[in-house]
Amino acid sequence: MSKAKTQAVQTFTPQKPYTPVDSDFVLKSDAAIEVDRNFASQSVWKDVTTRFRRKKSGVVGLWIVFIIIFFAIIGPHMNGYDYSAQDLKSKNLAPRVPGIERMGIFNGDEKMSTSTGTKTTNLYEEEGLDDTYYWFGSDRYGRDIWTRTWQGARVSLIIAVAATIIDMVIGMSYGLISGYFGGKVDMVMQRILEIMNGIPRLVIVTLLLLILKPGMLTIIFALMLTEWVGMSRIARAEMLKLKEQEFVLASKTLGARPFHIIFAEILPNIIGPIITQVMFSIPTAIFTEAFLSFVGLGIPVPQCSLGSLISDGYNSFTTHPYQIVAPIVVMALLMLSFNLIGDGLREALDPKMKEM
Amino acid sequence: MKKYIGKRVLTSIFTLLVILLVLFILMQLMPGSPFNDEKLNDTQRATLYAKYGLDQPVVVQFFKYVKNMLTGDFGVSYNISKNTPISQLIATRLPISIRIGGMAVGLGALVGLVLGLIAALNHDTIWDTICTIISVIGVSVPSYVFALILSYQFGFKLKWFPMLYSAKQAMASSWLPSISLSMFTMATIARFTRTEMMEVLDSDYMLLAESKGLSGRKLIFSHALRNALIPIITVLAPLIVDLMTGSLVVEKIFAIPGVGSLLVNAIQSNDYNVVISLAFIYSAMYIAIMLVVDILYGVIDPRIRLAKEGS
Repeated sequence: MSKAKTQAVQTFTPQKPYTPVDSDFVLKSDAAIEVDRNFASQSVWKDVTTRFRRKKSGVVGLWIVFIIIFFAIIGPHMNGYDYSAQDLKSKNLAPRVPGIERMGIFNGDEKMSTSTGTKTTNLYEEEGLDDTYYWFGSDRYGRDIWTRTWQGARVSLIIAVAATIIDMVIGMSYGLISGYFGGKVDMVMQRILEIMNGIPRLVIVTLLLLILKPGMLTIIFALMLTEWVGMSRIARAEMLKLKEQEFVLASKTLGARPFHIIFAEILPNIIGPIITQVMFSIPTAIFTEAFLSFVGLGIPVPQCSLGSLISDGYNSFTTHPYQIVAPIVVMALLMLSFNLIGDGLREALDPKMKEM
Repeated sequence: MKKYIGKRVLTSIFTLLVILLVLFILMQLMPGSPFNDEKLNDTQRATLYAKYGLDQPVVVQFFKYVKNMLTGDFGVSYNISKNTPISQLIATRLPISIRIGGMAVGLGALVGLVLGLIAALNHDTIWDTICTIISVIGVSVPSYVFALILSYQFGFKLKWFPMLYSAKQAMASSWLPSISLSMFTMATIARFTRTEMMEVLDSDYMLLAESKGLSGRKLIFSHALRNALIPIITVLAPLIVDLMTGSLVVEKIFAIPGVGSLLVNAIQSNDYNVVISLAFIYSAMYIAIMLVVDILYGVIDPRIRLAKEGS
């Protein structure tokens, strides 16, 4: 043993036993307590955020969603057009954007396929509309597609988010209660769920919209009825994992009531998987709404949603393809981004799981 | 095993009865009666009511309704093609829908499996990334967007395939709708295959097989893939159901005379009788598929069976 080490051992293991002094028993003030900065504790959420940031696709998805929400809020007011105002003098105009038009794109040119081949026309020049600009073009009633696309995105987002939040509340409560009480309650609740799950969603939604008047609230209601099943499954599974743990036992011992334990003690612990499921439910809701509009059960005119815009554009998509491009791109981006966020969150919340 | 199957069959039958009850109630709630033609006088109406049993108590009507539905007597269509039996309408359309749906499932499962395998075997390489991108797009872009793109590009511009369905070129005109329908199935199967394969490749028995000297094709196909396939069966059932929803719009886009477009037409022309009959058929198909898959899964994987019997 080297000399230095021997010395160190001697200082740390003194021959004489240590006699406490008074100052050892004085409570330290807050300022005197030192925080371990080398191994600082991290809250779960800080951890999750760091892991989420590391996954590029999730971050990109989040940004795209933010951008679309931003435009859904201000987009309909960015130019002078109103989403439902018709102007039959300027119908079926191709996209034209000031500035960029000089570069040869978005200048209002449109390729028309005729029996003799394709020819390029510019309706703005033919009609003498020199100062008119429709950034995404105009539809067959002369409505501005830019304004309508963002208005539609706004409506679709409101429907999807509202329906998903209601689903979350219902499904989560159902699953948590069913899982916590177990036994007969669970049995009955699960059988009801099985039957609900046995009916195709498509059938429920279609039939419901046939008897109720179509509109935003009806669509939200229809989506609410169908989407909570998946959410309740996840909540129940999480509950079964957690309910035997010590903190629940401690709470029970202290006399907490079941509903306090379920909603105040366990709920905060399962919020992660629930949020992930929400991220996957939103695109489903957007898709279902678009599907309903396509079938003719969607938002009534003059309101519009992404689905009704696609369905409008579909009627003339061989002659004026630009009319369908904007709503389709926004919807696809929206669904893609929510899926990416969901994937990212799932991995961030459960680092053990490596999914695509 | 018998107990498990019995329980599943009973639940399915009960679910079907609940659906019939809901449909029956909806029929009563639907605005207007099929016989509110103003030309009819009261006695004629009474005769018609008697003919269709509408003058009997509701309970009797319900059981008659259940019997009719189960024997395939769905009544007649009122708006789409007046007084044609609905069973006849459906009989000519169902095979077309099933063929296109079947092609979509087959195509999706096959391509998805290959993509997932490529991704899992070349984990963390460029191939993996490409497969991931394809499957994320497939999952998040709805099938009718694919249908529109495909029909514009390959049907309208390049004219490789017919843009609209024609009975004369049934095969050629089934490709585009099947491909657009299969995208979601393909993407989901690819994701699942990748996850399952990676799990299996990591397992101890794969290490054992490898250390015993097995290699290449035999190792992958007869040891890894077989075990990875089991969970994939479970996702197929919900996928087939999603396919049904997708088929409605895709059939409309390609003007395919299938049940999906029939349902869309019925909804748009308020032909409630047809809508409800189709709702019943869709539900029955869905329940049957779920039942078969559940039983299959129980047969293949004893753990599932035991867990469900225990609860």
